[in-house]
Amino acid sequence: MKLQTASEVISFAVELEDKSAKFYESLAEKFKDYRETFLSFVKENKKNKMLVQRAYNEVISDALETGFSFEGLDTDGYSIETNLSQDENLTSLINKALDMEEKIKRFYLNAAKKSESLLADVPRVFEKIARKRAERKEKLKLLFNPKL
Amino acid sequence: MAVLEEPIKETLVLKNYIDGEWTESKGKYHDIINPATCKTIARAPSSTKEEVDEAVMAAKRAYSEWRRTPPLARCRRLFRLKELLEENFEELSRIQTMEHGKTIDESRGETRRGIENVEVATGIPSLMMGENLEDIATGIDEYLIRQPLGVFCCIAPFNFPFMVPLWFAPYAVATGNCIIIKPSPRDPISQVKLAELVDEAGFPPGIWQVVHGGGEVAQALLEHPDIKGACFVGSTPVAKEIYKKCGEVGKRVIAQAGAKNFIVVMEDANLEKTIPALMTSFYGNTGQRCLSGANALVVGDDKFYKKFVEEFVDAASKIKVGYGLDEAVQMGPLQSKTAKERVLGFIEKGIKEGAKIVLDGRKPKIKGAYPDTCFLGPTCFEDVTADMIVAREEIFGPVANILRAKDLDEAIKIIHANPYGNAASIFTSSGKLAREFQYRVECGNIGINIGIAAPMAFFPFSGMKNSFFGVLHGQGKEAIRFFTESKVVIQRWW
Repeated sequence: MKLQTASEVISFAVELEDKSAKFYESLAEKFKDYRETFLSFVKENKKNKMLVQRAYNEVISDALETGFSFEGLDTDGYSIETNLSQDENLTSLINKALDMEEKIKRFYLNAAKKSESLLADVPRVFEKIARKRAERKEKLKLLFNPKL
Repeated sequence: MAVLEEPIKETLVLKNYIDGEWTESKGKYHDIINPATCKTIARAPSSTKEEVDEAVMAAKRAYSEWRRTPPLARCRRLFRLKELLEENFEELSRIQTMEHGKTIDESRGETRRGIENVEVATGIPSLMMGENLEDIATGIDEYLIRQPLGVFCCIAPFNFPFMVPLWFAPYAVATGNCIIIKPSPRDPISQVKLAELVDEAGFPPGIWQVVHGGGEVAQALLEHPDIKGACFVGSTPVAKEIYKKCGEVGKRVIAQAGAKNFIVVMEDANLEKTIPALMTSFYGNTGQRCLSGANALVVGDDKFYKKFVEEFVDAASKIKVGYGLDEAVQMGPLQSKTAKERVLGFIEKGIKEGAKIVLDGRKPKIKGAYPDTCFLGPTCFEDVTADMIVAREEIFGPVANILRAKDLDEAIKIIHANPYGNAASIFTSSGKLAREFQYRVECGNIGINIGIAAPMAFFPFSGMKNSFFGVLHGQGKEAIRFFTESKVVIQRWW
């Protein structure tokens, strides 16, 4: 599905944050040893959601091109897999998380690029969250080998 | 993406907000229709003359104490109001979409613009300060004080049901005046919701009131001897009449009127960035903006002109039309069936006059299962000349006219031949041409590579010629001047 309006893009970003938060909540439940790490991601997702919504709500103006800003931002490239099956082990789930984080990062980078016509706060927040997602990937990789 | 939840679940019966109380009107009630769904969402009264009197009397009573309230204490109420507006941001925005038809992005933008005026008005302790000069003569000092005047009224339009009263009301009350808002009878719900928040913010009774109704209520307010001034936004004939009426009896007035805005596109314009800006300008708010682009004036050779028309029409034809609460929708319905019929009339006139319709929005493709009662699609005419009715008169709908000029000089001549002077924009890569345009064009709001030259809250919302009647404008410092009298004191002590 192609996203065209600012409202659609913000809602999609919020959906990604909510879905991935739910995924990490389940991981925290399943792998008690890494509970704190996963819950910190959940907390960060909530903050990201707030940042995105606030940036949009505080800079949106009826006179800007909010309705025509995002032509070509296709959600198909960013659909994330968040289902957890009982028999999946930590390695498999971390690989799933890495894949998810990569997609979310790419979404934010693309959204940042396509929102240049809006006030700078919006692309800036998208870029900031993309950076955080990249950092998270590094943290996830450490879980493969906690001694590193 | 989903259609957002409607905040109005059942038909509201709107009341007046007079003297801090919600009171039922004795006047006749009419339906407020959601133009996208055609469902009745509220019933609003046409208030009686007695109810107008009650509101003015309540304001008069409240004024003497309110003007003595320290500016800092007055602006604390505005800070509280700002917080409440933020808390209710989404509900306020969705209400606008339901009563007006605009898209949710546009409604949120309107809410934000309204809040910005409250924010600017919270600076009143600094903004309202006077001036002084010592020793204008030996031992004599002179200073200027800005004092409030009393009771003002605001007669609001339908196209920005939430924002427009906020161009005036926060400044009126911050400077120590009282204000009575008469919302548009077509979409008054936003002002009711706003007044609920005003009440919650702790403004004393009578300071900020809402009286519903149409022309008769406006008349009663304007003729009331205790109303010191009026703020109006609407059509040119009504603005002229209000200006005249207020002038005769010595009331202050800001009368913002109609428009026919030209967008000049020079051959060196960056079309990739220009076209999306023009879509918002011509079709945003379904063309129901006094700052909307109406006439695109293309300066360039045949090849550029052809490319411009192709790209403009291609982009316009892709605009998704539907219910504004559907996040994917880029253009909502007209605000009413009457508004749609009026625009249809102009399209017919354009065709009769010989303009070539290159995009016909009369039978729009609507996203979702909504009645087509108020919907029109983006429409575009080319081969339009400046003398045609469609190029001269305000259509107030999603209709773009494409005209040509041989150079900037001719473009400016065409703009000046039009009686309106609200806004004009130029799209160009040349700083020299942009400066020339800004310098010479007789319009109140100039856009340079900007499709909608909407002044921020800290700048005046300007206008010239038949687009504005008055001296001082709404918003920012000019609003402070409008709502205060300059008193000069010259003092000497022996």
